[in-house]
Amino acid sequence: MKRFSPFILLHHPRCAEHETGPDHPESPARAGAILRRLQDGPLAAAMTLMEAAPVPREWLEACHDPEYLMRFEESVLSGQTAIDHPDNQICPASYDAAMLAAGAGVMGVDLLEKDASMPVFCNIRPPGHHAERGCALGFCFINNAAVAARYWRRRHGRRVLVIDWDAHHGNGIQAAFEREAGVFYVSLHEHPTFSFPGTGYAEDLGLAEGKGATLNIPLPPGAGDDEFIEALTGTVAPAVEEFAPTAMVVAAGFDGHEADDMSGLCYSTALYGKLGVYLASWADRFCRGRILTVLEGGYHIDALAAGAEAYIAGLCLRPLLS
Amino acid sequence: MYVIDYMTAPPVTVGPETAISEARAILRRRRFRHLPVAAPDNKLLGMVTDRDIRSAYPSTVEPYDGDEVERVDARPVAEIMSPGPASLGPGATIDDALLVLERRRVGAVPVLDGGGMIIGIFSIRDLIAAYRDLFGLGERGSALVSVRDDGRPRPLTRIVTALEKNGIHFSRVVRRRGGDGPDDIHVRVNTFNLRAVHTVLEEQGFRVAGPMEEGR
Repeated sequence: MKRFSPFILLHHPRCAEHETGPDHPESPARAGAILRRLQDGPLAAAMTLMEAAPVPREWLEACHDPEYLMRFEESVLSGQTAIDHPDNQICPASYDAAMLAAGAGVMGVDLLEKDASMPVFCNIRPPGHHAERGCALGFCFINNAAVAARYWRRRHGRRVLVIDWDAHHGNGIQAAFEREAGVFYVSLHEHPTFSFPGTGYAEDLGLAEGKGATLNIPLPPGAGDDEFIEALTGTVAPAVEEFAPTAMVVAAGFDGHEADDMSGLCYSTALYGKLGVYLASWADRFCRGRILTVLEGGYHIDALAAGAEAYIAGLCLRPLLS
Repeated sequence: MYVIDYMTAPPVTVGPETAISEARAILRRRRFRHLPVAAPDNKLLGMVTDRDIRSAYPSTVEPYDGDEVERVDARPVAEIMSPGPASLGPGATIDDALLVLERRRVGAVPVLDGGGMIIGIFSIRDLIAAYRDLFGLGERGSALVSVRDDGRPRPLTRIVTALEKNGIHFSRVVRRRGGDGPDDIHVRVNTFNLRAVHTVLEEQGFRVAGPMEEGR
């Protein structure tokens, strides 16, 4: 038997003010589409909506160089339109939006540490998993998932599983934790030969003390639900069991959807629902329910909103505890 | 793309009188497999490999006289080296190196200056690193997009012009002969916005190719 758990959606209206210009895939409409879908749909009754607070400086600097943070802020203040590459468009609200996006993760961790009965979904942008310690990349400025995972590890001493199923490899998360044994980074993504950012080969398994705490599963262009589920149950599940996490951060990108032309993957909306059920079962089994989800990519607005709704519905189906 | 940019320099060398046991210890300690043998003036005399050394010692699966190991230990490497090995000059390109490594079936080649002095050693591992650089494999922030030559004139010019006109960053365009079928053209683009790349290429009449297509 399963019960349906309520959930928390962390968001902030300022995230929609991060303008990227016309025809840019990472558009302000993304987070708003998810929020509207949830508010208008059957999950509304189970949702507690909370506004994110900006990320504390200490935790921002735990993942990014102060020089880069200053450069980012100055680029925004001086009216530049991009940083580090024309992909990374900025506007006057971009710095604040990025601080709130990263802050949502830290706030979510604290909420889960107090009460893990409600999973937390951070409906924020700009996304984060490509951002490196000292540069912006792939529409990302601050590595939201990495900041949350580091906070969870250092402040609360949790063994953190970061699972990233965005269609693109989370190079920034991997770089942040590839030398650490206490944070396990797992990514399922389109093969790096064909896909941005060109990293995430199966050969990359972590370095030094972190050897074995990185798992990359590249999927060929055209891969769909079956390939994904096979990798998740056949390869990821045993590795997670061995690692035995006590907290989970999910870097959730919905750009592997068949309607999304930013990747060659062909997932259905239903896959995200199944994924929610799987991850919730791992969270309950290993982490006493502590699961934080952070929005990454997803550029087809309808597929993004439908995928996020299906995922959250799956996440909220929990075994009935007697 | 020259071998001097990727070779190991200066290389570790040994003299012809060096004992086999010492050469073996150097290879084990430094974790490589090829050791140039040089005269005192650094002129190349030969190459000795871990395989040459293994072959010099008695087999571990056959009975042997207990003193034999000590006798081999003390022999000079000059007795087991390959004299007059293949080498590359200071102006050799990585293509030269590929051909030499492939045709001579060796794992590493010494690089000599104009006077025949050893200035470096170039291995298959160095070749891999050089081609990795050349093609941008694993270059962060990039992806390889492949299209089929559509048979119309000047395909490379059309691709390059369209990408530049649309402000799409790219770093390499490589055309691979397709044999009986159409050629493949591979473009390493440096952008996340692959949607824009596909649109631009399709507007030029190219079809973006996937790995599972028929005819492969």
